Amino acid sequence: MTSTPETEAQKPKHRPIIRIGIFIIAHSFIVSVVCCTAGVLALLLLPVLAKKTYVSENALMPGSAIPMISEQDVSGANKFINELTSLKLKSQRTGIEIPRLIALHMANLGGEVSYHKFQNQPNKFHPLHFFTSTELEANHVNQTCESYATNTVGIIRAPRGDGKEAIVLVTPYNPVNFSQNEALSLGIAYSVFSLLNQVTWLAKDIIWLAADSRYGQYNSVAAWLKDYHTPSFGGFGKLHGVGCHNGNDVPESNLDMIIETEVSDTLRRAGTMAAALVIKVAKTGEAGDQDALNIYAEASNGQMPNLDLINVVSYLAVHGQGLRVQVDKLVSFLDSKWLKFIGGVLETVGNIARTLNPQWKFGIPVKEYVEGSATLVSSLYNQALGVPTGSHGAFRDYQVDAITIEISPKLFSTSKGRQTELLFRGGRLVEGVIRSVNNLLEKFHQSFFLYLLTSSNKFVSVGVYMIAFLLLVAPLPVLAASLFSDANKSNLESEKNKPFKSWRWLYPTKTVFLVHLWGAIVSLLPYFIYQIPDSQPTSRLLIWASLSLFILIVLGSFFRVRSTQWALLKSVTVSAAFIGLCLMSVINFATAEIGALLLVPMCLMIKPWRVAGKFQSALNLVLVIIGFPGATFFVVKSAFGFQNESSLVEFWYWVESLWAWNSATYIYICMVHLPCWVLCIYILLHQC
Amino acid sequence: MTNRSINNVLSRSILTTVIITLLLSSSILHFSDAAASSSMHTNNWAVLVCTSRFWFNYRHMANTLSLYRTVKRLGIPDERIILMLADDMACNARNKYPAQVFNNENHRLNLYGDNVEVDYRGYEVTVENFLRVLTGRHENAVPRSKRLLSDEGSHILLYMTGHGGDEFLKFQDSEELQSHDLADAVKQMKEKRRFKELLIMVDTCQAATLFSQLHSPGVLAIGSSMKGENSYSHHLDSDVGVSVVDRFTFYTLAFFERLNMYDNASLSSLFSSFNPNLLLSTAYYRTDLYQEQVEKVPVTNFFGSVMKTIHTDSAYRAVSGKDRSRVKSDVSSAQSDDVDAQRMTGSDPERQVDHSDIKVVKGGGCPHADLWNAIVEKFQGVKNVDQIVNYGLVGMLTLVAVSTWQSS
Repeated sequence: MTSTPETEAQKPKHRPIIRIGIFIIAHSFIVSVVCCTAGVLALLLLPVLAKKTYVSENALMPGSAIPMISEQDVSGANKFINELTSLKLKSQRTGIEIPRLIALHMANLGGEVSYHKFQNQPNKFHPLHFFTSTELEANHVNQTCESYATNTVGIIRAPRGDGKEAIVLVTPYNPVNFSQNEALSLGIAYSVFSLLNQVTWLAKDIIWLAADSRYGQYNSVAAWLKDYHTPSFGGFGKLHGVGCHNGNDVPESNLDMIIETEVSDTLRRAGTMAAALVIKVAKTGEAGDQDALNIYAEASNGQMPNLDLINVVSYLAVHGQGLRVQVDKLVSFLDSKWLKFIGGVLETVGNIARTLNPQWKFGIPVKEYVEGSATLVSSLYNQALGVPTGSHGAFRDYQVDAITIEISPKLFSTSKGRQTELLFRGGRLVEGVIRSVNNLLEKFHQSFFLYLLTSSNKFVSVGVYMIAFLLLVAPLPVLAASLFSDANKSNLESEKNKPFKSWRWLYPTKTVFLVHLWGAIVSLLPYFIYQIPDSQPTSRLLIWASLSLFILIVLGSFFRVRSTQWALLKSVTVSAAFIGLCLMSVINFATAEIGALLLVPMCLMIKPWRVAGKFQSALNLVLVIIGFPGATFFVVKSAFGFQNESSLVEFWYWVESLWAWNSATYIYICMVHLPCWVLCIYILLHQC
Repeated sequence: MTNRSINNVLSRSILTTVIITLLLSSSILHFSDAAASSSMHTNNWAVLVCTSRFWFNYRHMANTLSLYRTVKRLGIPDERIILMLADDMACNARNKYPAQVFNNENHRLNLYGDNVEVDYRGYEVTVENFLRVLTGRHENAVPRSKRLLSDEGSHILLYMTGHGGDEFLKFQDSEELQSHDLADAVKQMKEKRRFKELLIMVDTCQAATLFSQLHSPGVLAIGSSMKGENSYSHHLDSDVGVSVVDRFTFYTLAFFERLNMYDNASLSSLFSSFNPNLLLSTAYYRTDLYQEQVEKVPVTNFFGSVMKTIHTDSAYRAVSGKDRSRVKSDVSSAQSDDVDAQRMTGSDPERQVDHSDIKVVKGGGCPHADLWNAIVEKFQGVKNVDQIVNYGLVGMLTLVAVSTWQSS
């Protein structure tokens, strides 16, 4: 790149790879346009390129055994549900009674039962503990007994297993506000638990966690998982449990007498977890003529469970129980005209291709394309957000594959027959999944971990969706190199006598570095804002914005950012954006993909308004406005018709959720996206 | 009178010498026959190998155990069966029926009942051990029960099942046996005279490719599928939750279930019993290395232990007559006429021995001992020893007289 005309004259022949490089850099404009268009096109093509899912692991053999859940198990579950609901009506202190009832039934079925007490640990922003868990041991002392929530844990030991592995069933319920659908999900787990206590084929232990979700579904599971994986030496259970248990309760019923001996307060453990299933029953009924099953899989930072787990569940639900399996999708996309148009174009192209050669089969119907895109966008968004979509997310932090299955019955009615049918269906499904996972010899590893779903039985693997991202990002280094060499050439004519001319890029680099440093400071500011007592979200947001602006100005004036050549500055900015995007694609691909869609056109197009034409300046202005994270948020919200109450508050909560969940997306926005945006504005307003 | 007596003596002496020479020559003949009897079927062995681990490969163990049961039922004793099972399904925690293995969803037959002797189990089933068993190169500590102690008269059945591919068979989860390895082992066996005839039966995907390198004579090979084909399982036991038997083995077993020890269905009838539509693959036979006609060889030559009865009525004279008739009738009733006739009249040295005048104390013993015994018997038959001595002296004198008369 630094080769001058003289040296080129001396050495006319370079190696081919260098010549190709020089050629590409020389035609950077065409390359940029072609690559960007191809990248966006590839993204639009993803629903077409999606492959059918298949169970990759031989050992799973889903559906090879017939479900064995009997009338007896289900009638027991029915009785259990009735007791739960009557208890809710009768007693005001359900918060204490329900765990005890569950424990009693678990013990009666033959499981080992223990309570797990935990306290609410509110999510707070701790910049210094961003990637580590926070310890709030000091708070324990101040908490009263009412603040304890109680998870009930039942364990079935595999009769001939080695006790080294376990499968976890989670049924979240809220004892303070107990609802019928939670009772149903507990009933499903009960029927399965009742069956599994009798079977001889278990090779892994079964853990049933009835999670007390009064402090949130995620928190209860996360607290239990944390204690499960933290070695405790004796006193742990006593510290949490016994003191409160005795102080709070007067042993009133014979119920207490029965379980007092069997239920232990020390946390009982089984082996390492092979998989976990969170069972839920939806509150609202489904409109269709079939019962449906919703699968939620996204964990923190876009991590997904192994695809095989989803495959097994959806295979058993569709082929075993006749359920309609759904994955979360963006409903507002289903009616979008331009998506239908693209789908139509792709379908006709596919049809034409098929007439040319019947072997080519890549066209899919418009409806399928639109649904696929809606699911894909939702999948991308959920992964990019980095916030888990349910309590299964807590398992992923311990490298356990977990999903939430939510059964939504077609028309929710409390009739006895309907409830029994639902219990049978749910029970058989869960039993089938457990039997399948029970066959596993190692943890899930055969199938994909990096994928996007376009429907419950179609997926785009990492090898395919990376192409779209790489095509989008590819122009950035080319443009940087091209700008740099151009700037050097023009320098040669004007400033031949100056020494260290090849070190000129250091000045813009200093600017870029300062702006990125500013980004890091901005990302830490909320911690200090939280120290201000009794502040409203809007005022917090404004404080944050004004503080950021102030620090930027201070930094700019303090270090006296020298006015440098804009081309060099842009070159370095583009390089920084490229590095940031590539790093982010490793951590969370979806974030990087969406970030690239916003950042790449802006970085490629930006030019000082004095140099650029009017049209380009206007375009740049639009891009820069959309490129601001807050503006993007509002544009997307209004475009897809989300309800918005007060936009600023909503934005604040959105950002808050990001850092509360330790999402890497937050870091990306503050340390890559925002600095690049500021630099783009700087270039736009550059005095040439 | 003297002249006559002399003539008589002369003729007698000539007779004796002729007899002696005859005896000698017959014994030599017998000896050479014994050397040629490497092609004689004397015993049966079976090596049954299940090469795959893991619960989802239940069917491979069930295949092997089914074959084990069949060959045992058809007469191969346990001590001549080497059973190699790479995993223990019966005691797997996932097995709904602990300590039982079934090859059919009707669960009528427990293959893992009493008297199952597994010689190599679990991680002992390796390519190395398998080749050691075939070639007989064991470490000193390996007990006799784990060795293939076959000889040049053995018919060996080698049955293998597991997961295979183009020219290989997977062992456990880490190793594979290649067609070259198998061919090499068979060649070594041939050179070491460890078998007379070898039937290799393989139930894997692309089983036919495993035989491509075989060159040793006397080897017959049956594979479940051709190159590029898969071998499929027959049915799923939805109670146990796994497939319990492979198609090829299932139909092989179905064929053998109709047979008993004395049937003599030929190998070709076994081959023709495989229906590609039922197997969902094409069974493959390699017969070019096998000298005899498969139409005429009964399957019990390999899958059972039925051999011709070698009848010796000398050792137990009193019983033999009755026994002999019974055994003969058994054999002739059991076997088809033409084959029987051929086998009876065919080059059968022992039968010849049986028909010869010499009384054999131990069938198939050392020819020199036989000769010596014969001479001893002959001499014991002579009543008057003094007379013989006298005759001998007179003979000597005559010889001397004749020779002196001739020389003068």
